[in-house]
Amino acid sequence: MKKFYTKLIAVLIIISLLGTVIAGCGSKTQSEARKKVLKVSMGLGEAEWKVMKEDIFPPFEQKYGVKIEPLQIEAGDLIKKLDAMHKANAMDIDIITQDNMQLAPLVAKGLVEDLSQYRDMIPKEVIPSLVPVGEFDGKLYFMPYRPNVEIAFYNEDKFNEYGLKLPTNWDELLQVAKTFKEKEGIGRVIIKENLGPDSTVQMFDLIRSAGGDPTVLNDEGSIKAFTFLKELQPYLSPDSKKADWNTPVEYLAKDSVYLVENWPYTANVLVEQYGKKNILAYHGWAGPVKESHVLGGEVIGIPTGAPNKEMAIKFMEYLMSKEVQEKLVTKLGWPSMRSDAYGKVAEWQKPYFEAINEALKHAEPRPNLVYWADVDKAINGALREIIFEGKDIKTTLDKYHNMIEEAKKAAESK
Amino acid sequence: MMRKIDISEKISNTAYIPIAIIAAILMVIPVYILFMTSFAVPSDILKPHPDFFITRFTLDHWKNVFTSGNIWPPFKKSFVVATMTTIIAIIIAAPAAYVIARMPSKIKYAVVLSLFFTRMFPDVGIALPIAVQFIKLNLMDTYLGLVMAHLIVNLPFAAWILVGTFETIPKDLEEAALVDGTSKLTALMRIIMPIALPGIAVTAIFVWLNSWNEFTYALYLTISDRTLPLQTYYYVQRGGIFDSATYAAVLTIPVMLVTFFLQKYMKSGYLAGAVKG
Repeated sequence: MKKFYTKLIAVLIIISLLGTVIAGCGSKTQSEARKKVLKVSMGLGEAEWKVMKEDIFPPFEQKYGVKIEPLQIEAGDLIKKLDAMHKANAMDIDIITQDNMQLAPLVAKGLVEDLSQYRDMIPKEVIPSLVPVGEFDGKLYFMPYRPNVEIAFYNEDKFNEYGLKLPTNWDELLQVAKTFKEKEGIGRVIIKENLGPDSTVQMFDLIRSAGGDPTVLNDEGSIKAFTFLKELQPYLSPDSKKADWNTPVEYLAKDSVYLVENWPYTANVLVEQYGKKNILAYHGWAGPVKESHVLGGEVIGIPTGAPNKEMAIKFMEYLMSKEVQEKLVTKLGWPSMRSDAYGKVAEWQKPYFEAINEALKHAEPRPNLVYWADVDKAINGALREIIFEGKDIKTTLDKYHNMIEEAKKAAESK
Repeated sequence: MMRKIDISEKISNTAYIPIAIIAAILMVIPVYILFMTSFAVPSDILKPHPDFFITRFTLDHWKNVFTSGNIWPPFKKSFVVATMTTIIAIIIAAPAAYVIARMPSKIKYAVVLSLFFTRMFPDVGIALPIAVQFIKLNLMDTYLGLVMAHLIVNLPFAAWILVGTFETIPKDLEEAALVDGTSKLTALMRIIMPIALPGIAVTAIFVWLNSWNEFTYALYLTISDRTLPLQTYYYVQRGGIFDSATYAAVLTIPVMLVTFFLQKYMKSGYLAGAVKG
């Protein structure tokens, strides 16, 4: 009986050893096979994916003998997924392009690689203001990829009907909003006040164009911006409270709003999908000090522990190349990160492109703050209390300034 | 006292129908708008005040969705996951609920409470740690991973509903069968389960619908092969009004079919609470 058990144990040990060897070989084969695949995460619409799959990916796949696996992941969801994979020590995404307004959580959670050693890959033709967007504490975590900026969309027919000029400053904006309200009994101008990231962008523009700093929030410029918004409020469209980056398309398409600032993709949807050729665009309005637009867009990052980092670095360089950037400009109408990549665009796109390029001249990146979520909350808290609840401007802004300062101290002490 | 009861009875009898109609309208209108938009000619919708009833119909949006090749893989994944989740949930929850139902009241109460304890935490809060464990087990982007995640959500509720069902079945029936010489297992399979079938059907509907519509775990555990709710979410985020409406309508149709064909089993008694003392 004892012999039987000894033999059984020996057999089990041999089987387990063999299993380990086979698993080891399998794992090595699996790892080699993975090197032939590049998993790329982007948040794109169908038409944009089509261009990626037909025009951008194939030349790279042919050159490096790699298969690109595209993954559609929205910016907010990407943080969750990367976080889960990182915590499980099983990163399965090689390279990401991410909304530059959602970078701080990726850095704070350690989800992206430090790319400082690849800084030289940034082409010298890059628009200089795009580089600091990817920097945190002096380290470069993200490479520039595509800039974006909100422009003002307007209903040409309605402006002509009421003999209105496009507003270029706050006084003219107030006048236009008043005229629409008087003529139609309802506000037709939108300032985004949805108490989310969209209203934060809008408040950034207003505060900065009044010479203020939204991360301070109780300075003179911030007070001016909130005072102006309070004055403008009765003449705004009731949809202002619901307006995000998505809904203005619908409002403009249905002719329920005649003037709203939104991202340039609006033009493609309105003109190409809905045939609304009467919706045009211009760069927007200035405040009492200057014109200012939040610099949006996307950057390139490499997740911590990316299984195919070597190929991801090559792909990163490829995405910044003139060859790719020209295609993105001509085929998608995206503004380029490079000054030398503006190819020929379709005739109908030209006025929108002019508006984008003009707005980009006044574009300023948002600061990359680890306590960004608190700044966001403070701006929207102030917006809610001052505009919707009618509270005193100075007192409310002081309160939210203190909230930001506390968050700043907490972040610095970590 | 009698008079008071009469008055409240009269009020409830009179108010019942209007309240039911209003509730039905409130529930049906969003579904109607969804389907109407998916069949509408764009110019009838893209105006400041779209008509509530449309007179011109088009199948273009449905054709676009079905010919795009983007709908069947998510549809299949959602269908398979929901069906597998339902089958496994019933196989596990039915015997468990039967045992719980036959426990003494105090113990039963504690067990049912402990079942619900697992559901006290919001899915959004526990989805990340669960996803981390599942990813470690290579369950990312797999049917099995999603089925297991959906079972976490549905098993406690399935067991709770079924405890209520088994409680309504008199113990005498089972005892009579045992006296006649049947084994406990045979009594359970041949006598108790057939009587509990309507309750099991209700539970199955509940689990299937929950799994079909589930979003949070699917979001964490999917990177390439999306479920239908995730696909619909994509079009809501990235597509136009008509694509979004059509995908949402496609998502709704199986829900309506399942509910329609199994509604005869839906009686309030089967959803009664588990601990009736």
